[in-house]
Amino acid sequence: MSRLEAARAATQHQKQWFADMAGRARDGDPIALVNADAPHEVLRAFDVPYVVNQWWASIISAKRLGPASMRMLAETGLPDHSQQYDAMPLGAQALPLDQQPWGGLPNPAFAIADSHGDVTHKIFEQWGRRPGTETYLLSRTAADPVPPRWWELVPYEWETAFGTDRLDLLQDEIDDLIGWLEERTGRAFDEDRFAEIMRLANEQAEWNRRTRDLLAAARPAPVLVNDTMPAVMVPQWHRGTQWAVDAARRLHDEVAQRIDDCVAVCPGERRRLMWIGRGLWSDLDLYQRFHKDFGAVFVWSMYLAIAADGYVRYGPDPLRALAARFVGLTDLLYVPPWSAEWYVKEAQAHGVDGVVHLVADDTPGGRFISEALEAEGIPVLEIRANNADSRSSGAARIPERIADFLRERVPAGD
Amino acid sequence: MTGAVPRIGIVGDDVPRQLVLATGAVPQRLLGSWHEAVSAEAGELLGTVDAVAGLILDGLLSGRHDDLAGLLVCHDSQANLRIFYVLRILAQRGRLPFPVHLVDAPRLSSPTARRFVGRQYSRLLEFCEQVTGHRADTRSLHHAAERELAVGRALETMRERRRTGRCTGAAALRAYHAAAATPPENAVAAVTEAQAPTAPGATPVYVTGSNHPDPGVYDALERTGDVVVVGEDHDTGDLAWLGVAVEAPTIGEVIDGLAAAHLARPAAATGGLAAARAAYTARCAEQAHARAALALVREHDDAPAWDLPHQRLELRRRGVPLVARTRIRSAEDPVAAAQEGVAEIQAELASTAGVIS
Ligand code: SF4
Ligand code: SF4
Repeated sequence: MSRLEAARAATQHQKQWFADMAGRARDGDPIALVNADAPHEVLRAFDVPYVVNQWWASIISAKRLGPASMRMLAETGLPDHSQQYDAMPLGAQALPLDQQPWGGLPNPAFAIADSHGDVTHKIFEQWGRRPGTETYLLSRTAADPVPPRWWELVPYEWETAFGTDRLDLLQDEIDDLIGWLEERTGRAFDEDRFAEIMRLANEQAEWNRRTRDLLAAARPAPVLVNDTMPAVMVPQWHRGTQWAVDAARRLHDEVAQRIDDCVAVCPGERRRLMWIGRGLWSDLDLYQRFHKDFGAVFVWSMYLAIAADGYVRYGPDPLRALAARFVGLTDLLYVPPWSAEWYVKEAQAHGVDGVVHLVADDTPGGRFISEALEAEGIPVLEIRANNADSRSSGAARIPERIADFLRERVPAGD
Repeated sequence: MTGAVPRIGIVGDDVPRQLVLATGAVPQRLLGSWHEAVSAEAGELLGTVDAVAGLILDGLLSGRHDDLAGLLVCHDSQANLRIFYVLRILAQRGRLPFPVHLVDAPRLSSPTARRFVGRQYSRLLEFCEQVTGHRADTRSLHHAAERELAVGRALETMRERRRTGRCTGAAALRAYHAAAATPPENAVAAVTEAQAPTAPGATPVYVTGSNHPDPGVYDALERTGDVVVVGEDHDTGDLAWLGVAVEAPTIGEVIDGLAAAHLARPAAATGGLAAARAAYTARCAEQAHARAALALVREHDDAPAWDLPHQRLELRRRGVPLVARTRIRSAEDPVAAAQEGVAEIQAELASTAGVIS
């Protein structure tokens, strides 16, 4: 199965973009480090390039620099065991430049994050102690209320979805952030430009939605799920640009073309599967291992699905819309009952015959997701691969357990 | 005991007790423990978190707290927030005989945060009114303030005793725990009774790191008489939000005053930034005449570990060495870790004795 051209193009673009951004930074332009849940579109409106902390962590860890980065943290007395993925870039920044990936991340002028969890704000506080970097923190409120069918509410009725109090707080904080950036960049916030960025972001989400809907309906599955990941994620980091819209559209067109051409990743597809939870990136083959013996194909990607349902916000006030985009974005995926309802909806839309649920230990109530799926007649295999030391032995058994699950609980369709 | 007074359970430390009292209920904080194993069910429901949260959930699921009229859960840590998310669903399914309500009080201070916290406290008050069937009014708020402020005065007196060697850390910790779980009158009595002379010659130690939901570690620390815990910056001791109330002519002003008070109080490790936390720790340790500080940090309670390098530096500036033990497993070795810490403190003080004095 050949790779998606959209995936290859996205990966290539990201490299070029990083080099350009680093060049600008070396010429004295301010850049920002942000976490995935911060309101990126504001920075784009200021023309401040931003690097997403979690994405940078994925690059560091792909280059196998995770342990060395964590050692740098430990050397300064900071914990090397705590929220490692979010902390890794902080440690990597202390590595000798020639060891850092992609020529190194230039020191950001701004580090911006929401105070998610117990330590995100503390990690970003540390960034602000580095010379030349200032930190701005946003509050993070909890998912309350959680009205049913959030995916129908968030595009227009976000006040109902998230509650006016939460939105008021975040909107005011974003407003304050804008003033903070105006002071520091000497640039004025361009509201027209911002409105255009928000419009483009919605357009991108619309393409993602069409792509997701195509894949939900396509029989057999025309793409490998892991292949859609870079094609969706990289454009997400460029949300609000024409390039990102075009990239989302290219992915859509390529998927549509494959469907027209009757491409099948597994022509003998007899079982459609859904993978819930963190990807097992160490074992990407896992997703294809069940084609041959079971005609079983993983057809659903969380990354595409949340890009399709989670980001779109229409409304006359772009600032309010931006607050509504970020106020509870990760809650949609991780907080039950929201998460559970959405997985059920997606499983049904994709005609899934069985679900492999890698239960996360960093989110609560995983069981509620499995229960909700089973209640709709969708069999679930729960895998609890907990702490680090069980990783090797536990992960080794995962393929056998999936095979048993397919044999015993997921009858083949036709 | 009047069985008629409804009790409202509290998980976390962001609830203004005045509001609960003003609706005729008794606020009762649920603390968990540092010395028991978490059940498989609680562990599975919460994912990987501080074991103390698992034990709080265990307590609730076991029916031990079924006599509560309602439960308030604070978003003051990730672990407590998970407790809320899980209980919201279980309560809906009838697993709990009382309603559950979230108290979401962010820590970053701003006028808009103050409005948000004020709205949260208004909703908290409504929840308590529904649970008790009693509406709060300016009179009941005033009365509640008087009762709670009496607790504050008793605590101030206790802290003074503690500074002058007339109250051990373990006695003070028990008083804090009692005060957080009982009506103000009982709280005042418990706090006033906390009088236990410290062992002569005991080294005054300031405790930071994770909180102490039970007195086990403090008891072990002080048992030999080598050490006395003269203060702490965790939310089950000196930092607990007790004895605070606002007197104002309208309900709205009381609530706004409480929101402002919340945003102004020193943060616990989970909500606070390391720099501010370290400055606070060092100031308190100095005021308590501590000769050393001991940080005991539980496994999966990560926030305090991020404060350590800053605390070490700030304390050092005041001549107070910091000894730290991190990732302490709950059911296994908190006492052993504490004792190791004490041994290290003694070695450290012995080696610098000539330098300091
Ligand atoms: S949601 Fe997860 S990945 Fe995103 S900032 Fe929070 S902890 Fe990190
Ligand atoms: S199992 Fe058969 S149908 Fe499926 S991909 Fe392999 S060869 Fe093709």
